[in-house]
Amino acid sequence: MEFLLSDDQLTLAEGVKDYLAGTHGPEVLRRLDEGSNRDPTIWQGLVEMGLPALLVPEDQDGLGLKLLDAALIAAECGRSCLAEPLVDTAFVAVPWLTAKGDIADLAPIVSGEKIVPLAHKINGWVADGDGASLQSVDPLRNLTVAPADATDDPHLLNLGALMSAAQLVGIADAMLEQAVEYAKVRKQFGQPIGAFQAVKHHLATATVALEFAKPVVWRAAQAMDDGIDSAPVHVSHAKLAAGDAALQMAETAIQVHGAMGYTYEVDLHFWMKRSWALIGAWGNRAFHMKRVDGGVIGGSLDIGPAHTFA
Amino acid sequence: MKLGFSKAEEDFRAECADWLTGQMAGEFSDIKGIATLTAKAERRKEWEQQLAAHKWSCIGWPTEWGGRGASLAEQVIFAEEYARAGVPGRVNHIGIELAGPTILTFGTDEQKKRFLPDIAAGKTIFCQGFSEPNAGSDLASVRTKARLEGGKWVVNGQKIWTSLAHISDWIFVIARSEEGTKGPKGLTFLMMPIDQPGIEIRGIKQINGDAEFNETFFTDATCAEDSLIGAPGEGWRIAMGLLAFERGVSTLGQQMGFRNELDEIIAAAKANGSANDPLIRQRIAKAEIGLHLMRYGALRMLSNTDHSKVDGAALTYKIQWASWRRSLGELGMDVLGQAGEVTDNPDYDWGTLPNLFLYSRSDTIYGGTNQIQRNLIAERALGMPREPRGDT
Repeated sequence: MEFLLSDDQLTLAEGVKDYLAGTHGPEVLRRLDEGSNRDPTIWQGLVEMGLPALLVPEDQDGLGLKLLDAALIAAECGRSCLAEPLVDTAFVAVPWLTAKGDIADLAPIVSGEKIVPLAHKINGWVADGDGASLQSVDPLRNLTVAPADATDDPHLLNLGALMSAAQLVGIADAMLEQAVEYAKVRKQFGQPIGAFQAVKHHLATATVALEFAKPVVWRAAQAMDDGIDSAPVHVSHAKLAAGDAALQMAETAIQVHGAMGYTYEVDLHFWMKRSWALIGAWGNRAFHMKRVDGGVIGGSLDIGPAHTFA
Repeated sequence: MKLGFSKAEEDFRAECADWLTGQMAGEFSDIKGIATLTAKAERRKEWEQQLAAHKWSCIGWPTEWGGRGASLAEQVIFAEEYARAGVPGRVNHIGIELAGPTILTFGTDEQKKRFLPDIAAGKTIFCQGFSEPNAGSDLASVRTKARLEGGKWVVNGQKIWTSLAHISDWIFVIARSEEGTKGPKGLTFLMMPIDQPGIEIRGIKQINGDAEFNETFFTDATCAEDSLIGAPGEGWRIAMGLLAFERGVSTLGQQMGFRNELDEIIAAAKANGSANDPLIRQRIAKAEIGLHLMRYGALRMLSNTDHSKVDGAALTYKIQWASWRRSLGELGMDVLGQAGEVTDNPDYDWGTLPNLFLYSRSDTIYGGTNQIQRNLIAERALGMPREPRGDT
């Protein structure tokens, strides 16, 4: 057994992280918020990095990588609070279409000409669709009314939930970083507030939840790559762990920022609201809890010593 | 201990309820149920005056200053009926609950005559200038300066988080009036008219899209020499006395507002079926228990009229309600599910429960963060050693 990410996987994720850190800082979020939330030049940059092709099979001119690779990139998209629909199109739609043998759209996805709005019955909306628009709590999210003919394909749901979970751990990382930086520079009572145990323990507790959520997400991605029967339960576990960690981190990061954290001018709220939106997307907490419950109590998951660590 | 209300108190409750529901069904129906503090500000100033015209604006004040000299029980009843009727928050709550009682307790007769009738009448709206960019949790490190010059106080500096400054007439500030002092020493408590060239107000947008609070800049702003409360250098004592009023009977009215919020969550859970989810049911039950804990806790706190020693139990109140309400916001969000995250309203303007989730993020911060509250409990109630502090 080896529960490690490979150097290739880490290098690729690091590259995307660096690219987004350099091109997609908080000032971009503020600019998008004042406009229409989307910018073709940002999308073009992602296309030039080859990201839409990541999961497209090699015989369709893609890179043929795995969901685990994509989940690491999705976390980076979360970290930068990326608003462009890269995760939905490249990491959810592509593997879903490919699994269905629906390969006609893959070429225009690779070239960046096509994005794929996803209409699933679990969601009450479509992100980046072309119906009547709705206001999301996430100011950078473009939602539209769901069509009547949305699918209820469980594979699509699992892909959507997995990639939401992956984004959520990146979002939580970003909020942690902002809170730690703030705690180092903000002074009260003559010293950085991060020196106070009341503040550092708060951040430490949220960090524990986050670090324990990450391997759960990677495990779920691997389970889907391997196509094992229990993959849906792993995905639900990942969605719960990542969502809970992100919500706790949002709460902590705002608290550490004090009243500034409650303002619109401190960028933290973009990540907090993205957390909220993704926690509700692709099955809410109750839905995924029920799936874990169904696995454990309902018998769909093999439990007991012989299976727990299998 | 005597629980329950007397016949006279029940009659009083009926009188409050009749009048308030009548107003919300009639002349002031347009402001019923508004969740934010800023919407329809002009109408809400008119509402302050309507309250005053019917002697409801400050019932706990003495009769000579426009109040009714109401008992604690009566104040509790009024606060409860006020929230139950869906009347929006008071835009002059700082005047009624903080400035007024401070002037009553620490002010001169002249100051009482000059300010109290207008506050009671809803003609003078007050806001509070305490926090500064570098004096938040560490309030005593304020840097705004005041000096006496030509028979006037001249004030320079900046305040922040001044709620409703943009619709207020007066602001009370603590400013450093003695050069070279640090911490709580050398501060003076001043009341200043806002409409003057030396005061500039800039709104601060909040994460829920509202802009309730402001930055307030003072550039050679002035007020009359006799606008100070207490003596020069006594500002910290006055400010601390004022903050003690903050835990007044309004906390019980606030709980009725919480009751309304929890009821809305329960109704939503029944409507969308999440009430069938055992986890949601447990959290709702826990919220209900928490609400009752707070009610009895607040009744105990308010019944204790011996202010000569530290009331350790009272120090636990803020963190309890703030944390409870933040959890309530999260519960509301989980009950609504996706319906709480989208709206067909194109403005960034949310219904009660999504707004509760966003707004309640501030409850554990303003008026002393949870971290500061724990320090207060540990150091003042439990007598533990003070946390080491740097040179402020």
